[in-house]
Amino acid sequence: MTHWLRSYGLLLGWTALRSRATLPLNLVIQTCLAVGIIVGFAYLVPEMDDATALYLATGAPVLGLITVGMVIGPQEVASSKQEGIFDFNRSLPVPRSALIASDATIALLTALPGMVAALVVAGLRFDLDLDISPLVLPAVLLTAFTAIGLGYGIGYGMAPPVARLMSQLVVFVALMFSPITFPASRLPDWFESVHTVLPFQYMAEAVRDTLATPADGVSGLPFAVLAAWTLGGFLLTHRVITRRP
Amino acid sequence: MLTIRELVKRYRDGTRANDGISLSVEAGEVVGLLGHNGAGKTTLINQVAGLVVPTSGTIRVDGCDPVAEPARARRVVSVMPQGHAPLTGVTPRQAIRTMARIRGLDKRAAAERTGELIDALDLGKWADTTGERLSGGIRRLTAYGMAAAEPGRVAMLDEPTNDVDPVRRRLLWRQIRELADRGHAVLLVTHNVVEAERSVDRIVVMGAGKVMAEGTAAQLRSRAPGDLRLELTAALPDRLPELPAHLPVEGPPLLTSRRMAVPIASGAASTALAWAQELRDAGHIDEFALLPVGLEDVYLQLVGGEDTPGGPGTEEGEKDDSLVA
Repeated sequence: MTHWLRSYGLLLGWTALRSRATLPLNLVIQTCLAVGIIVGFAYLVPEMDDATALYLATGAPVLGLITVGMVIGPQEVASSKQEGIFDFNRSLPVPRSALIASDATIALLTALPGMVAALVVAGLRFDLDLDISPLVLPAVLLTAFTAIGLGYGIGYGMAPPVARLMSQLVVFVALMFSPITFPASRLPDWFESVHTVLPFQYMAEAVRDTLATPADGVSGLPFAVLAAWTLGGFLLTHRVITRRP
Repeated sequence: MLTIRELVKRYRDGTRANDGISLSVEAGEVVGLLGHNGAGKTTLINQVAGLVVPTSGTIRVDGCDPVAEPARARRVVSVMPQGHAPLTGVTPRQAIRTMARIRGLDKRAAAERTGELIDALDLGKWADTTGERLSGGIRRLTAYGMAAAEPGRVAMLDEPTNDVDPVRRRLLWRQIRELADRGHAVLLVTHNVVEAERSVDRIVVMGAGKVMAEGTAAQLRSRAPGDLRLELTAALPDRLPELPAHLPVEGPPLLTSRRMAVPIASGAASTALAWAQELRDAGHIDEFALLPVGLEDVYLQLVGGEDTPGGPGTEEGEKDDSLVA
């Protein structure tokens, strides 16, 4: 355990050093993206009622997390594979899980400021009446780790060109066809049932219900589904990293 | 320290990257692995580092089996990879120090060792410049520092001197020797036969996944026919002369473009020199030299020929002909 923690700490420093150069740009882009979703989507909806505003305000930070984890994540993994960084990391005398954990931590730290910015802008724009539950912390963490874990799964599990295409597809589906910024009931039945399996709807639900707690309390289902997806994503990542041809 | 027996690695597509390799590297020894691209050198290194599993055969690194204990193998060996180390956004000092820490040194020892390597490799001027602004040679030296900071028992260096300038190349070789003197076993992949001849203790020549020859530079040189070679350089490839009947040669001449190297015994030196002098006086050749046999001659004999299927020296002439036609 001491070896694991020591490795994790050192790798964290190493990854932070290496991402220092791109970090400010990453933060700016994510903040713009989250703010852009709130401002831009409002143009699509001519009459903004409270329910719509709530969906937009709580969906925007979720979309920000999805972008960091499932779009930027796989693209970074694809590049690291092509530049030989993946092979270099694999040769280091550290537990593989510490390697994944340190990368995921940096990704999380990168994603959080954009998410907070989105919430602040949403509050200003829509004059929302939020009822924040302490469960918001696990909700945000699970949502972030689901996105990051699945992003790594895509990046490590697929060949770099395929992973890049896949990440584009994910952001397209998440932005336009997922019940994140609108209720699932607006979707056709078959698509609604597809989303009972995919993680997007649960990400949105977990974050929305913990920011504006509904009268009947926060449901446990989204947390369970997200935990399962997170586990799946990281297990796949671990398998690929430890695989020896 | 490192023992490899009958190692075979066959990939799923059927390629036999390693085909029955046996070799060993002792503590305090620098062994050079020579071979052209695709000879299976990097595959061999990856198996020792526990990143690739052999199809058959055994590997032992300081008593550890990398197949059964890959995590321990990664602690016992350090690898300087063939590609560039990830240095974007990181300075050589940060990179070397972090690797020293990751490989087990405490803060103070890591800083000390980093300073020592930076001085020894004359990296001071760039020690605090981030990777993307460094030249290929400096990045290569940094990668060496990252592997050598705390190398474990066995250091495996994949083409360490590539892109490095001649002055720092000497410094680097000195450091590699020092690594061995400290009791580490060093296995080093290189294409540079001349450097290997000068700087390593033992050489293993690999080709098509097999060990083709092994020994000290002197032992390998003794495999060459004759102990001297007469080198003739003509102005054009087709101007190279026929060998005269009165010159006793020890083997077929080796042709490379406008150069011909003839293996001879030392007893034939005066005859050879007289003939070469005549050729130059008559203007048939530009220059000549009588040299002791080098490792490069042996190496080319062992693995050469594959690069020039049309026969050396003929390509230019054929091209000219086709242009005229």
